[in-house]
Amino acid sequence: MTLAAVLIVSAALIGIGIYGALSQQSFVMLMMGLELMLNGVLLAVIGFWSFGLGGAPEGQLLAIVVMAVMAVEMAIGFALVVAVYRKRQADMTESLTTLRR
Amino acid sequence: MEVKDLAFFVLAASAVWTGWRVFRVDSMVRASFSLMLSFIAVGLIMLLLAAPYIGIATVFMMAVEMMVMALFMVMFMMNPAGLNPMWMVHQHRLAAATGFITFAALTIAVLLSDLPGNPVDPAKPVIHDLGVELLGNSMLIFETAGITLLATMVGTVILSSRSGRYGPADEGSLPPPLTPGGRPAGRVPEDEE
Amino acid sequence: MSAAVPIIVLFYVLGVGAWLAAALDRAALKLMAGRPLAAATMAEPWRQGDLHLVRQRIWTERPDAMNWLLAPALYLILAAVGMSVVPFAPGFVVADLDAGIVLWGACEALTVVVVFLHGWSANAPLPLIGAYRYVAIGLSAMLLSMFVLIAAALPAESLAVSAIVESQASVWNVVRQPPGLLLFLMLGLSLTLRGPFDYADASDLAGGTSAEDSGPARAAWQAARLAMLVSVSAMTSAVFLGGYHGPWLPGPVWMLVKMAGVLAALVGATHMLARLPPARMLTLLWTVLLPLAFLVLALVGAEVLLWK
Repeated sequence: MTLAAVLIVSAALIGIGIYGALSQQSFVMLMMGLELMLNGVLLAVIGFWSFGLGGAPEGQLLAIVVMAVMAVEMAIGFALVVAVYRKRQADMTESLTTLRR
Repeated sequence: MEVKDLAFFVLAASAVWTGWRVFRVDSMVRASFSLMLSFIAVGLIMLLLAAPYIGIATVFMMAVEMMVMALFMVMFMMNPAGLNPMWMVHQHRLAAATGFITFAALTIAVLLSDLPGNPVDPAKPVIHDLGVELLGNSMLIFETAGITLLATMVGTVILSSRSGRYGPADEGSLPPPLTPGGRPAGRVPEDEE
Repeated sequence: MSAAVPIIVLFYVLGVGAWLAAALDRAALKLMAGRPLAAATMAEPWRQGDLHLVRQRIWTERPDAMNWLLAPALYLILAAVGMSVVPFAPGFVVADLDAGIVLWGACEALTVVVVFLHGWSANAPLPLIGAYRYVAIGLSAMLLSMFVLIAAALPAESLAVSAIVESQASVWNVVRQPPGLLLFLMLGLSLTLRGPFDYADASDLAGGTSAEDSGPARAAWQAARLAMLVSVSAMTSAVFLGGYHGPWLPGPVWMLVKMAGVLAALVGATHMLARLPPARMLTLLWTVLLPLAFLVLALVGAEVLLWK
């Protein structure tokens, strides 16, 4: 287990996450892609902390900030999905065309 | 050391595999919990990386988050149980290419760069250090995260509540058309036809 | 070799405890009905379990078969993992994690997931209603328990369960924070789908998430519920009742006695207390019990700050 191996795994997670976020039509599935990207970021942060900082606590602090970002992303994301559904009865990205022109 | 390496490879493979399955299974509940398994695998890798608190907290947080995610999946997706095959994607080739290029670029960057080598001392009390840091030097950052979460809660309630400043949020809302510029989808009451 | 002993003991305690809980369940019903207790009550769980094992397993139309089969196994695993951080004597513990109490919290959260999966995967209305109801109540109860556990960990200044037990050498946590114990027992009822917190497997839904279970699957699910009850009682004894601390008797005996006591209390609560409607329970959890948990946390914090 080396830092390079950990970072490659996190790169794979980020790659899959980008694929999901770009390809999915449903809002909720799109958010799954975002979550997967943050998953990779979290792993990379902890990998760098574990192999590169000699245990300085600030690295773990960054991981906690990433977790807070995840929580914010989920909560606001779902709130937006609910708001859009109320207003437009839309649950897919294609249904939102107001900003297209 | 051997066992640790083996565990890492198994966990890494399952993290990536379950992450991939998220976008390949038909059942939305399975998709959410597949993502949860990916997070659990990453959390266990963090345990191997000498970050027990962050690792287990990730498992804890993601179990709750994906539980809520599964409920939203059932609410907002047609065919939530995956009883019919389903393929709801757009710009699929572009997305796949972007994902792969991101992975390849990051991997090349990782392999070419000079990575730091200063591992954690296994005897270090990392959880204690983290606690002291959170409520010591970095308290401002920690509290900022707390305030941000509070703001998130308020924003979430405001965004998702039905009653708005100008009446109910769903007043006059019509379902989107199935074809561009077409009639709103959904059932039309008989007396309007 | 010595590392295997705590694991064997853990499964032994889980098994015997589950059987004891099942027997207590039946004994409690007999006591409440005023009927005489017979020695056969102790064997009744085995008989009924055997009956389930020979019965046919029914399948619904297009269930999520994988998750349906996995749910009882995962429930049992969570019970075992949650209990693995609890010490039975100084140093006698399967996994003495620094973040033991967080691991228990993760097991709580995953229990909600497993119960939901169990109800979801049968592809039938009553299990699904049970699963949904349980998620609403179970998630809130679990959230609350986090604050309760943090309050219990505060005097120990550590997240390790062994350190929390050590910190109770002079004063048990139940004396420091009695509401914490009550709130944690409530969580225990919620984790094991029992009595006043039985929103998942309740009889008003003809068995809720296990309405479509039969045969070996039903036996496995009920056994897993009982194992989780044992796990909860072990955690309660360690975190609030001083674990292996106590006069006269040796440590492990104290631990087992306390576990049996908590088990009896939880079984009693299962049969004596009525259930609130889900909506009122949710209001109660968020508006009364969650602030109470905050208050306990603040008071324990003040106590630690002033007297330590």
